[in-house]
Amino acid sequence: MVKKKELFLFFSLLLLGIFLIYTYNYIKEAKHEIFVKIEKDKIQQIANIFDNLKRATLIHHNIKNAKELTLFLSDKRKRDEQEKKLSFLLSSNLKYIYVLTKDEKGRFRFLLDASKIDKANFYQKFDVKNPKYNLLYQTKEPQIIKQKDMENLQLTYLHPIIINNKVVAILSVDITDNLQNNILELIQPLETFFIILIIFIFLLISMTIIQVLHYFFTRKKIFTDPLTGLYNRNYLQEILPMLKLQHYSIAMLDLDRFKVINDTYGHKTGDFVLSQSSTIFKNSIRDSDILIRYGGEEFLLFIYNRDNKISTFEICERIRKNVESFSFHFDEDEINVSVSIGIHENPSLEKNVNEAIKVADAMLYVAKNEGRNRVIQYSENRQKHTQTKDINYVKLALQENRVICFYQPIYNHQTGEIYKYESLVRIKDKSEKIISPMEFLPELKHTNIHYKLTQRILSIVFDAFRDNSLSVSINLNFSDFINQDIEDTIVNELSNNRDLASRVTFEILESDEIDNIALLKEKIDTLRSLGSKISIDDFGSGYSNFRTVLDMDANYLKIDGSLIKNIDKNEKDFQVVKSIINFAKEAQMKTIAEFVHSQEVYDKLLTIDVDYLQGYYIAQPSEKILQKEELF
Amino acid sequence: MKTFILSLFITLTLSASAINHHQIKIIEKIFSEISISTELKIWSDNKKLLSELKKCTKFITVENPKDATMIILEDRDNLSKEVLSKSIFVLNYNLLSKIPKSFGALFWKKGRPNIVIIKPRIETQSIEISQALHPYLEERVW
Repeated sequence: MVKKKELFLFFSLLLLGIFLIYTYNYIKEAKHEIFVKIEKDKIQQIANIFDNLKRATLIHHNIKNAKELTLFLSDKRKRDEQEKKLSFLLSSNLKYIYVLTKDEKGRFRFLLDASKIDKANFYQKFDVKNPKYNLLYQTKEPQIIKQKDMENLQLTYLHPIIINNKVVAILSVDITDNLQNNILELIQPLETFFIILIIFIFLLISMTIIQVLHYFFTRKKIFTDPLTGLYNRNYLQEILPMLKLQHYSIAMLDLDRFKVINDTYGHKTGDFVLSQSSTIFKNSIRDSDILIRYGGEEFLLFIYNRDNKISTFEICERIRKNVESFSFHFDEDEINVSVSIGIHENPSLEKNVNEAIKVADAMLYVAKNEGRNRVIQYSENRQKHTQTKDINYVKLALQENRVICFYQPIYNHQTGEIYKYESLVRIKDKSEKIISPMEFLPELKHTNIHYKLTQRILSIVFDAFRDNSLSVSINLNFSDFINQDIEDTIVNELSNNRDLASRVTFEILESDEIDNIALLKEKIDTLRSLGSKISIDDFGSGYSNFRTVLDMDANYLKIDGSLIKNIDKNEKDFQVVKSIINFAKEAQMKTIAEFVHSQEVYDKLLTIDVDYLQGYYIAQPSEKILQKEELF
Repeated sequence: MKTFILSLFITLTLSASAINHHQIKIIEKIFSEISISTELKIWSDNKKLLSELKKCTKFITVENPKDATMIILEDRDNLSKEVLSKSIFVLNYNLLSKIPKSFGALFWKKGRPNIVIIKPRIETQSIEISQALHPYLEERVW
């Protein structure tokens, strides 16, 4: 869309240009007409004077027709007398005054010539070809002839001499262009000014046109992502002011495990997957929907919802299924691709589109957490659980010491003892309500507040476990690991308290964020040198790179809850968990199964030699550190 | 006929702005409509006119008035005795009165070109004109 101000400028200049052209033409027209208008009065005066003369002469001498008039004027004395009277009318502008009559052959002849120069003889033939001479005889009306290229004559005024309702002669007055030239000379600067102004305006119009054309030619490049051919974020910015949110639902789409695809198969394959997926998305939506490549593998879809034939959820589900069923082949590799989608069906309920996108993004986050390859739609109930808190909310909680930790026991089923506790962050809101990390952590990703929060958790946990003999796990992500302030906090505390250090396990989320294994290993070695242990969190949830796991040389491997929760019913999950346990044993790592939410799951896990268990079936997270008597 | 009058008129009208050039064009047209008993050999006291007519393949021009059969006269002072017997076309209306031998004139009156051919004089001199020139015939000089 062309920017409104450019269109406004263009049309304003166009209107101004048209106005100036009109004014210029008006002046040009006026320039020619003004002379006629000025002379008209003068001519009228001459006509009046001549009428008086005519009456005095013709009536007085009882002249009844052209023949008698010719006869009358053939007398030189009478002619001189009449010419003398007429000559009074001569001026610098009125060059010639003469009377013509038509002879029997229709040729015009001089009867009188009061001109001072170029005087004609009586009855001398006068070759005139302009049809207005004869028209005067027909109409009996005065005629004005605008002369061109005739000496310096500008106008010829023809006045009929009528006797008995019949034209017997013509009074002809030739007017020079002296006056007109003077007028033109005066007008010339104004005319030049208008010409310059018009040229200037048209230059501006041309520049605006060039700009608009340039905009049209380049808009495709500006607004299109070259890889996928989809609109990019520039386009989103362009349409946002005009977008009627009440007509659209918003969906955030994200290709699952895209980094794995990129790392495993290379960027060319990654580009291929992006391109193919985009084509599938495009083919799965309607012309009225707007699809935008929002980030790397993230897409934003505005679904037009005024057409109630198909629901937003159905469209997204169609996209998900089409991606899932499509066979992605590149360089003889078959790649499994899926997409997670978060929907906000009524984005107009939010303050602005950015807030609506955040909600859709939160739904996408839920979709990812619930196992990927699914569509999650925003609902009031879900919102209660997933309502995101902004950074300021967390900042205030930090300031007001409302950040707390819950501890969930990790159970050793062989000894029947609590092996250790996992510390889990919570915020207590002002009404003492406990806020889940899902509601505020996504907002903090890669922000300074996240690091401050991690530091606070470390401080809380160290305080809680410094003076007892219990063990504890603390969750850190890769960015925490490489943050110098966090490292300093850990080293300062644990280097002075080796006993505590030996009871602390750092759980690192084995995720696609880890892009520098060497650095990670260096940091792990630092922690290990203090006597702490390392655990890999959520293993099997997606980014399960065995090589990385081995490189990290972890003490524990925590199996992802998505594999555990249905292990009693899902044979495949059971087999995967079994394999992971075998792998862990080979790598000399202890295994922890989380999400043990039922006795069935618990019993099933006991059959496959998992080392430790954690979940609601054993104990829910609690602000208080639970004892073994409080389990189950 | 109509075409001739129209083209002549256009030429006449245009002639007002660049009189010399168009005067020549009108004269060329007039003389292409005139025939005399002998071969038409033109001399003029207007040297420019003579040189222009020379370029025109339709007419024979001569440098010496004695060799001419047609004189185009602009100034009465240039009228020598030796050319008095020849046909004379003048470039001033008043010369028609002053030179009784002159049979026609091309002149400007009030900014308009005018042609006059005196009928009795062409008849006396056995000059024939085409129909196209008939509107310009006059019985006498006024």
